[in-house]
Amino acid sequence: MSENGLAYELQRVSFAYHPDHPVLHEITLDIPSGSWVSLVGPNGCGKSTLAKLLGGLLAVNGGEIWVEGTRLDRDTVARLRPRIGMVFQNPDNQFIGATVEEDIAFGLEGRCLPREQMVERVKEYAEKMQIGHLLSKHPADLSGGQKQRVAVASILAMEPGIIIFDEASSMLDEKARGELLAILEEMQGSGNYTMVSITHDADEILASDRAIVLGGGSVVADLSPAELFEDGALLDSCRLIAPYRIRLKHAIRTRGLELPKELKLERG
Amino acid sequence: MRNKLLFGRSIDTGSWVHGVDPRAKLTGMVLYLVAIVAVQSWIALAGVAIFSLAYMLSTRIPLKYYLKAAKPLWTLMVFIFIVQCLAVKEGPPLWQIGSWTLYQAGLSSGGIAALRMAMLVSFTAILTFTTTPGLLNQGMNGVLKPLRLIGISADRLTLMMSIALRFIPTILDETQKIVKAQAARGADLKELPWKEKGRMLVSLLVPVTVSAFRRAEELVLSMESRGYIIGAARSEYHYLAWRQRDTWFVVSYILLAVASVAYHWI
Repeated sequence: MSENGLAYELQRVSFAYHPDHPVLHEITLDIPSGSWVSLVGPNGCGKSTLAKLLGGLLAVNGGEIWVEGTRLDRDTVARLRPRIGMVFQNPDNQFIGATVEEDIAFGLEGRCLPREQMVERVKEYAEKMQIGHLLSKHPADLSGGQKQRVAVASILAMEPGIIIFDEASSMLDEKARGELLAILEEMQGSGNYTMVSITHDADEILASDRAIVLGGGSVVADLSPAELFEDGALLDSCRLIAPYRIRLKHAIRTRGLELPKELKLERG
Repeated sequence: MRNKLLFGRSIDTGSWVHGVDPRAKLTGMVLYLVAIVAVQSWIALAGVAIFSLAYMLSTRIPLKYYLKAAKPLWTLMVFIFIVQCLAVKEGPPLWQIGSWTLYQAGLSSGGIAALRMAMLVSFTAILTFTTTPGLLNQGMNGVLKPLRLIGISADRLTLMMSIALRFIPTILDETQKIVKAQAARGADLKELPWKEKGRMLVSLLVPVTVSAFRRAEELVLSMESRGYIIGAARSEYHYLAWRQRDTWFVVSYILLAVASVAYHWI
């Protein structure tokens, strides 16, 4: 952790794949260590590009990104990368090993860990993700939710301090999405991880500590998830729909009815 | 789709062959190839068949699995058989259809060639049936290490091969989805004549290739985010240790290859 307690400091970060078409324009924000931040916004607003910049997979065109007090650039990216894990959208395309255990071990092999330590860690994180019984399975024998669990286990096994979820739940069914959310909540509860999730999932946003809304390559709003779901115009601009319970609460209130105090409609 | 594919799938029965070092198995398979290429007679074929059967039985994997492994290549075997029957015109004639005559030597060499192919495919399945993909990679890595002398990295080569193998079922699944999507729009491959099928194949190959490239790009990002650096040192998850049993395994194949080649020349 850095001295100022920040996992990320972004100072006027700009990025363009092509000089004529800037994707991100002078983004400045801080993400404290141990927090869970949701990056939301309509498709094409630059969320995934920002995730790749945060993960060191792309280099900024302008501005600076500081990761736990170290500036992220060409010289430091290899050193900082072990601190940052990334889980992507399609669980199939991030499955590198031929079996679950080989996939979890892939990142550990790159760290040159001794075999005994790798076996231990593979087992430990597979058990944590409840995929211990699937270690010898081929990816094609797994469901989407199981594959995404493998992806999370592969990242956790490398013991990073920061994890970026780039629409990690978008290709999962309802049940698998709920399971992934439970994992994220557990990780948040442990206090060991700084999490950045790029998501359209209302429940995931609601479970996070803070929502940063991107629009047209800039930060449009930086607020709590509860505040976001109260702001109808902002929700429309992000093409988001509030979770059912929040919509129900609004509907009850707009009809002039009072909710009993003991009835809690927010998550948690 | 995966369930229909036996290729590249390991079946754990806990036999002693499963425990043989993958490097020994790979070396054995190369020697088996030498032996089978040298087979030119029914006696030699019978000898190699007995050897093959003994090894197949000792894997404790049902023989039907080996037969299934060779099944996808049956058209090639029939083709080889027909070509030999047409090309070899020695020995007494057996059958005449119009201007074409089937000779005894043609029938014999056709049978031997087709069976050699069947045996080769079935037998080499021992390698994939008794070795997990990870161990196979590591074995390949060990066998290909000398390639470093000519500037080829065995690590990169085996990683490429393992990723290619790993994505075969995924890409086959995707191909099936595209075929179904095209059929839903009225372009059903099954209903079309062969000439049209050929044309339609292009419209199938384009989306499959584009999708494969997209997958490759995402895979690269995933590898990079897990700290993969080309050429950087890596430790190995699977530990390979050469034992006396592995030496005897290879020796048995050397004897087979020598016997087969010697029989051919004598």
